[in-house]
Amino acid sequence: MAPPPSGPTQKDTASSAAASESPAPAAPAVKAPPPETPTAIRRRSYIVLSFWLLVVFLGLPFWWKTTTIYRADLPLDRMLEWADGKACRPAIPIQIAVHADSLQEEEANHLVRLAQHAIDDLNDFSGHHLRLQLAPRQDRPREGEHNPKSALSIHLKPGDATTAALDPYRAALDITYPLNSVPPLHSASSMLTTYIATELRSTFAEEQSIVSYLLSASSSPTSKPAGLSPAVIEALEKRATRALRYAPTYHLTFSLFTDGPAPTTWDIDTAINEYMKPLLDVLGPIHNFTIDTQVQLYATPGVQSQTLTKDDLASFINAAEWPLSPSIGGAPTINFLTFIGNQTIGFPDSEGQTSQSWMIPQWGTVYLLSQPDTNSHVPKDALRQPMLTFGGHLLTLLGTPQSGSLPLRLSSLSRIRSADLLLRASDTLGSLARLSRSLPSIAIPRNVADGVAKSIRHLEEACASLGSSEALYHARIAEEEAERAFFEKSMVGQLYFPDEHKIAVYLPLLGPVTVPLVMGAIKEIKRLLQARKQRAQEAKEKKSQ
Amino acid sequence: MRSPLSISSLLASSLLLSTASASSGYHEQLNLRPLPLSNLLASFNFRSNTSLADFESQNFRLFPRSLGQILQYAGTRELHLRFTLGRWDAENWGARPWDGTREGGTGVELWAWLDAETDEEADAKWLTLTNALSGLFCASLNFIDETRTIRPVVSFQAEGDHPNTTLANAKLLHGVLPHEVVCTENLTPFLKLLPCKGKAGIGSLLDGHKLFDASFQSMAIDVRPVCPPGGECLLEVEQTIDMVLDISRSKRPRDNLIPRPIQGHELVCDTSKSYHSDSVCFPVDHLQSQEWTLEQVFGKSIKGACPLIEPGVPPVCVEVPHSRSIFASEGSTEIKSQDSDSRCYDLASDGDFNLVLTQLDASSDGKELVEPEQPLLYADRSFTGYGQEHGGVQAILTNPGDEEVEFVYMESLPWFMRVYLHTLSTRISAASSIPTTSAETSAEIVKEIYYRPALDRERGTQLELLLRIPPKSTVFLTYDFEKSILRYTEYPPDANRGFDVAAAVITTLSPRKMNIRTTSLLLYLPTPDFSMPYNVIIFTSTAIALSFGGLYNILVRQIVGADEGFESPVKSKLKRFLAVITRRLAG
Repeated sequence: MAPPPSGPTQKDTASSAAASESPAPAAPAVKAPPPETPTAIRRRSYIVLSFWLLVVFLGLPFWWKTTTIYRADLPLDRMLEWADGKACRPAIPIQIAVHADSLQEEEANHLVRLAQHAIDDLNDFSGHHLRLQLAPRQDRPREGEHNPKSALSIHLKPGDATTAALDPYRAALDITYPLNSVPPLHSASSMLTTYIATELRSTFAEEQSIVSYLLSASSSPTSKPAGLSPAVIEALEKRATRALRYAPTYHLTFSLFTDGPAPTTWDIDTAINEYMKPLLDVLGPIHNFTIDTQVQLYATPGVQSQTLTKDDLASFINAAEWPLSPSIGGAPTINFLTFIGNQTIGFPDSEGQTSQSWMIPQWGTVYLLSQPDTNSHVPKDALRQPMLTFGGHLLTLLGTPQSGSLPLRLSSLSRIRSADLLLRASDTLGSLARLSRSLPSIAIPRNVADGVAKSIRHLEEACASLGSSEALYHARIAEEEAERAFFEKSMVGQLYFPDEHKIAVYLPLLGPVTVPLVMGAIKEIKRLLQARKQRAQEAKEKKSQ
Repeated sequence: MRSPLSISSLLASSLLLSTASASSGYHEQLNLRPLPLSNLLASFNFRSNTSLADFESQNFRLFPRSLGQILQYAGTRELHLRFTLGRWDAENWGARPWDGTREGGTGVELWAWLDAETDEEADAKWLTLTNALSGLFCASLNFIDETRTIRPVVSFQAEGDHPNTTLANAKLLHGVLPHEVVCTENLTPFLKLLPCKGKAGIGSLLDGHKLFDASFQSMAIDVRPVCPPGGECLLEVEQTIDMVLDISRSKRPRDNLIPRPIQGHELVCDTSKSYHSDSVCFPVDHLQSQEWTLEQVFGKSIKGACPLIEPGVPPVCVEVPHSRSIFASEGSTEIKSQDSDSRCYDLASDGDFNLVLTQLDASSDGKELVEPEQPLLYADRSFTGYGQEHGGVQAILTNPGDEEVEFVYMESLPWFMRVYLHTLSTRISAASSIPTTSAETSAEIVKEIYYRPALDRERGTQLELLLRIPPKSTVFLTYDFEKSILRYTEYPPDANRGFDVAAAVITTLSPRKMNIRTTSLLLYLPTPDFSMPYNVIIFTSTAIALSFGGLYNILVRQIVGADEGFESPVKSKLKRFLAVITRRLAG
């Protein structure tokens, strides 16, 4: 393999020039090496080239392949579109059935048309519209009075004066009207239609403002929603901070805490059945509930004073000692705590006024129940007031709107929840997209991409069916999938493994290997350049001759 | 605890319990028994229950909610959890409290019957159970993985009253964590499970400082269904704490906790020694009947009775001979047992309760403590052999009694300890004769073997031996094993400390049922130098780089004769410099 001795090349000329310059008096007589043959030179070039080819075409791809991290393709643009609210413009149509059996068919149609106009004139928010529809007549065969698609039914009845009343047990609005207020067939507006429009609007005002608040909060967190007064916004913010995150199942824990040794028993089973069950049954279509109860003695509260001030309420729960651990399983826990003691809650600004209970946002409720020390049993009747308070607070903790009749509040709760989940899921997708853009070295496993795809598919379906009951189902799945994709364990687990570290480990290998390679390459390139120059010069000389 | 005299009193109280438990459902009792060498055994026992109907509908009253939820979620029929620290000194202290059924091996031990059709389902539920309990008790129970889990065949029997159908569908799993250090953070959740917390009743004596300062302590939680005859089935949770306190150590004042050498005049000397003089003292280690009070030993007194306990079961009992006088706080009533050396105290519902055990008068010839009962079996286990490759285990099992003892010896060994079962051998030595080794006797000693070999990184060895020891003889049980080398990442941070090997569990079948656990062992495995991977990377890199450089240079360089070519520039410059200097010197 050793190249045969051959003639000098550029090296030779350079050093011979240096030798001739040198004034060394005792320059030893050095034999010039035999000139290198052109084949040897060419062979050397091939060697250098083949090394480099190996490195570039085998080494680098191999290194790339073994050290690269798997990043599944995510539809980043689509995800960001969802997050920015560009992919779906949430619009909740609300079907309202009008029962006007006492009116002629044309009259009723006209009335509905006029009322719809009046509503559309009043409405300034596109995310939420009311759609009036004339219900089939009573005398026709009907499949059930309450059409599942309509959120509310209006029952128009002739009466003495224009009045409106919400039915407390059904999602229905009873409106009576004097006979003369029915609009004639060709009139453009009437008192009655305006009245209906304003009534409906006030009925749905809270839901509408909540939805508009949600939408504006999701599109830009800092901007205030247009068209809402600061007081309303504050109320909405309060509602948002109080309500728990949506979950299909909630776990309710009823606890009896007492400072001393008594009471030790309570009629919680019957109390729940009597006062709590009806409410839970009504909430059944939206949430499932599991219940447990406990009695805890010798539970010292965090605050000992007789009258609790507002600041005391925050520290009353003795979190370190009271066994209020959340339930295991996926369901979030809502705590309802009855504390036996004669403490009261005082308000500094209103003298003498006291209260018994307070709500802890996203956690539950505490009720102070005073009872004589000697009683070792809490009867059912004593639990009536606490249970009713818990029921009311449960609705708030679930995020139910405050106004309106219960059926109406619940139906609007399911609409608000679906809009909320939809926005949350889009928001999570947006965060995931931004995360994967900002961290190019994070691994994205395949199931994240699958989750994102599933989430987007369900988001689309939820968006299309907003206002109906499927919307909640789809939005829920979309939210679950988006959360699962975002909190994928293998993504979080991939900790920062800096490049400097890798280089430090491999430098002993890379350093000594690269230096000869690079030097060889430089020498070879230099030689090629020199050879070309020489050839050019030779050609010039030939020409000049 | 079960001295022959006290059995009857315990039986009486447990009989009382079974009739009364359905109504009140809570029972607590503290049993104090002075042990030789100025030790004191304190056994706390708390028992509460709930009807199965209430449990199913999740109405918890005395039964702790946090535990109940976990049991329901993991489909647990019966649960036994043990936290143990220290060693029971059977030579001095005699038989174990509760016949050893309420204690575990050093560290944490857990076994449970889980509702499961298949083994996979049982594994899934076991995982849920260990993780949930780990959170509840602040212990590393979640590290009980499949390599530390075994399915005992004969060692454990369900204690509760299970219908035959449910037990047929239940799977028994047993996990042990010998490395776990039991400490205060495990006691706090333990106390939270009690209906009276640590605020009233005997629970108010429990304090982490004293409990974990004890020579031996064991916390146990047992959950089992109990069906009293003719009554509704109940789910009973029993919490037990046994601790052996050194009285003189516990009496050390709080402000002077650091042990200092005792002053010369405070030393108690054995005056009977011939060399005893003013300057020479032989300290008596067996301190004659020290006086102590509850408050001194536990650091606090009992804060009234827990109001939930059913009447009729006195909460505090002391087992000392009647000749020793005891003073109790006002408001309490003393109940002296007629046929045994024990007396019990009913507490007042409010006001602190304290006990004073006086020093025994030197003049009276009464005994100061009840002599400890001789255990059925003494068990000792140790490693034999040397080196990093092989080792052996020797268990010395001594039957001191006059009856033949039949028992199950169970080992749950880690997979990296590869047992050679063919080396399992027994050797019997009667107390009087010279040790004899013969195949016939060893075959007679080991009656049955249940063995489930280990799989690397998947499961540990399970070894259950049914043994029989004739009276007054000792059996040496030995087997060899090989130490395997772990993977780099499998070593814990403190690899040079060694690996804990769980205690062997001995369950006697006849003449009566009781449990003994040996101490856990510390196994040294060959431990690598942990900077090795980096050294290897750097060494191989350098070698490759060197060989590559040489090869490359040989390929690329032109090779010429020694006298050919050019001088290196450095050499020529040096020569020129030298020439200049010589010229200057000459000129």
